[in-house]
Amino acid sequence: MSVNTAIEVKNLIKIYNGSLQPAVNAISFTIPQAKIVGLLGPNGAGKTTTISILCGLLQPSSGEATILGLSIHKDLQEIKKLIGVVPQEIALYPTLTAYENLQYIGNMYGLKGPQLKKKINEHLDIVGLSAQAKKRVETFSGGMKRRINLIAGILHDPQIVFLDEPTVGVDVQSRNLITEHLHLINKQGCTIVYTSHLMEEAENLCAEIVIIDKGEIITQGEPKALIAEQQTKNLEELFLKLTGKKLRDE
Amino acid sequence: MLRLFATIKKDLLILLRDRGGLAIMFLMPMAMIIIMALIQDAPFKDYQELKIPLLLVNNDTGSLGKKIEQGLQESKIVEITKSTLANEEVKQKIKAGEYEIGIIIPAQATQTLNNGVNRFVSEKLAVAGIGDSTKKTDTTAQTLDLQILFAPGTKKSFKATILSSLKQSSSKLETQTLLDFFSKQLASTEKQSDTYPLKEFINFSEVSTVDTPAEALLLNSVQHNVPAWTIFGMFFIVISMAGSIIKERDDGSFMRIRTMPGSFITVLIGKISAYLIICMIQCLLMLLVGIYILPHLGLPTLQIGNSITGIVITAFCTGLAATGYGVMVGTIFSTHQQSSTFGAVSIVILAALGGIWVPVYIMPETIQTLAGFSPLYWSLSAFHKIFLNGGTVSTVLIYDIKLLGFFVVMLAISYFYNKVKKR
Repeated sequence: MSVNTAIEVKNLIKIYNGSLQPAVNAISFTIPQAKIVGLLGPNGAGKTTTISILCGLLQPSSGEATILGLSIHKDLQEIKKLIGVVPQEIALYPTLTAYENLQYIGNMYGLKGPQLKKKINEHLDIVGLSAQAKKRVETFSGGMKRRINLIAGILHDPQIVFLDEPTVGVDVQSRNLITEHLHLINKQGCTIVYTSHLMEEAENLCAEIVIIDKGEIITQGEPKALIAEQQTKNLEELFLKLTGKKLRDE
Repeated sequence: MLRLFATIKKDLLILLRDRGGLAIMFLMPMAMIIIMALIQDAPFKDYQELKIPLLLVNNDTGSLGKKIEQGLQESKIVEITKSTLANEEVKQKIKAGEYEIGIIIPAQATQTLNNGVNRFVSEKLAVAGIGDSTKKTDTTAQTLDLQILFAPGTKKSFKATILSSLKQSSSKLETQTLLDFFSKQLASTEKQSDTYPLKEFINFSEVSTVDTPAEALLLNSVQHNVPAWTIFGMFFIVISMAGSIIKERDDGSFMRIRTMPGSFITVLIGKISAYLIICMIQCLLMLLVGIYILPHLGLPTLQIGNSITGIVITAFCTGLAATGYGVMVGTIFSTHQQSSTFGAVSIVILAALGGIWVPVYIMPETIQTLAGFSPLYWSLSAFHKIFLNGGTVSTVLIYDIKLLGFFVVMLAISYFYNKVKKR
């Protein structure tokens, strides 16, 4: 493994209990450090399963994956210190204030006292929510909740962040603020693994993309290079060309 | 420790800001205590119609002991267990609540009765000039002393009923014995007999089984309903706790926590601790209602016995059992609707079986057997032992151990369910 590799996946297979078809079928890919990489695919392609395995939420049926050189089989606790996860759901406590939510998350990563307070205030300031710090999350708009949800995943300065559709259902302004924040932490050396169905956003945000379908890797590379290679106009057209137009309602 | 305290703080904040949840946790059991104590005040005074466990020690080899036993059986209000225990052992068993009543018939009881009656009859016949007037008789007739012991919580009216029943049957025996002696004496003379007033030869003396006034308590409506509905309220926390677990699972919070370093067990202990704190506060408030509010409604004051440590430990174990059950329900069920429905119904069933609504001893035998499997019954039994029988930590230890065992089993089920589901 190269010293610049953030994530390396080798022949990863996941077959859920009671299922005959693998959700992830012997996939292999690498993600370089300090890049924003899009893990793209239609519904049921295996994106969430792959990320869940890399985060330690699921055990693979077979195969190996390393995060910053650490094995998901042996070094899970070490890996958990180095990664941050921003789930698609608003994983916040509605009756707690924005500050209380972030304080709890920070405490769970071992952060406390003035150091934690400083970090919370810095992040809230960047996403424009300083004035709302003491308000309950249940009073926030969708975009505000998404921004707090993002901070909760990066508060402890992880080296790799997994984001599952971080901008779904938010207005243009909030989306812009979120992507700006992601660019900012990426510039500070953080690797970002990002899933989305918004192809335009992925094309603009990602330095590399991995397209996955039916549990298998379809293609991987820089968006512009792949678009040129497949002679398509944009990432969406490329995506449809590679994964087909058939609806995925399963 | 930071993770633990952070989780406790987070869950307590969430609980305290949930006004509906707080109402269920505090106002509902408070209302139940007041309403049920008022409703059941009268019915609790009538439980003497039940079949009561009685410990009979018959040291008499004659007919008297057998006749007393026969009389008790015919009364159909007691369930007799025969024993040869010493007087002090009988007292301890009654005091511990194993039996409601104990009766000790002394050795030579038949002979003592016969001697007494013989002397009485001879004296009366001699006065009437029928018997042998030269024969010297003992004018101080001996009284046969049967000992009767009642459990500390036994109601006065119930004691009176039992004593009355026993005296009635003993009167028959006395009369019969007197008639037998008169017949024998008259058969040996030619004189006419008169009727003579009967003297009571049998005296029942009640032996106190309480050492302190606090032990002489009654199982009244307050003594039953306050602990009963306190336990019910503590267990009702299952609904709130299971709902919280399901919500955190649904909104991705648990998923996020599981991607964090450290053991998930710490988070679980934090959650259990937060709910346990609420359970302990619930228990304290409900007992205070029994002590300070119910007397203002014309009900007796709740007496809590002498073992505060016993109460705290039992409340703690009850809280653990309730939170463990909450974890299990929250783990197994996938929606809040499912968990709240199952949680509520299962607690009501366990409460009914456990004697929360009506005492277990008036239930049919089959249900009484099932009651032994209800954690609410274990908890209620422990509180009753402390409140009514002067129970201590050691007295209620077995119930507390059962509650802890229930907690462990619930967590084990949740753990293995999660393990299987994660595959």
